[in-house]
Amino acid sequence: MKIVVVDADPIVRDFVVGTLMYSVNREVLPFENGLDAWLYIEDYGMPDIIVADVNLEDLSGTELLGKAKALNQGTVVILYSDLPEKEAMVREAGADAFLAKPFGVSELFNLVQRFVVDGRSSNG
Amino acid sequence: MIRIGAEPSKMREIDLDDVFLSRLQLLIVMSKAYLSGYPLGRHRINCILENANHVKLEAVGLEEDLEWFKDDTSFNDTLGFDSAFYQRVKLLSVMAEAIAKGYDLENHKKEALEKNLNAVCESITFTKQVSDMQFLKVA
Repeated sequence: MKIVVVDADPIVRDFVVGTLMYSVNREVLPFENGLDAWLYIEDYGMPDIIVADVNLEDLSGTELLGKAKALNQGTVVILYSDLPEKEAMVREAGADAFLAKPFGVSELFNLVQRFVVDGRSSNG
Repeated sequence: MIRIGAEPSKMREIDLDDVFLSRLQLLIVMSKAYLSGYPLGRHRINCILENANHVKLEAVGLEEDLEWFKDDTSFNDTLGFDSAFYQRVKLLSVMAEAIAKGYDLENHKKEALEKNLNAVCESITFTKQVSDMQFLKVA
């Protein structure tokens, strides 16, 4: 199980990484921008789950989603935002989940339960 | 696509208070999982240490703010906790660090941990039950 978290804000990113890492007891890889995450994926392979902010420098969350799904449709991509208008865009881009800010521990545990434990996506 | 999180009308950026409360909730889950006998693993241990340290430092800062601004009517304490609450949070952080470092907590210390956990939980709204999180039962 490989999970990648991409967020420019270190405070939010560290919290998300820590919560997911504790939940799954596996390493979770943090990146501060979409391009760094994608370069890692190109070198080391597609993670099982990508959790990313929609607003990222160099490569946005939706662009990262598009590239990831083009390479492997089975990769779970979860995008989050503080802007309600981003939800439709994220849905159209084919994300498995949209996480509306502000979110906390319960919402992240919910994602772990759905996508790690149950191993299912509600797409389609 | 599933949707999780705030309602559209309540969406906003995550601020420092949100992160403090979320990390405190995570520390409560970590402590309750330990009391329930759930297994630890290398990554979980590191997460507990990192989270406990973060919560402790933030609690120290927030308690200092209370002292500094106690006579300042313009100071807006959005969290609204008192000094005793922050003392309990710091104690919880130290207890969690002890768990992560592998110190064997004797029964009376486990009771003290549980008592402190309950006191902290009374002050915040957090309904998630550790028993709901089946994934914590495996390392």
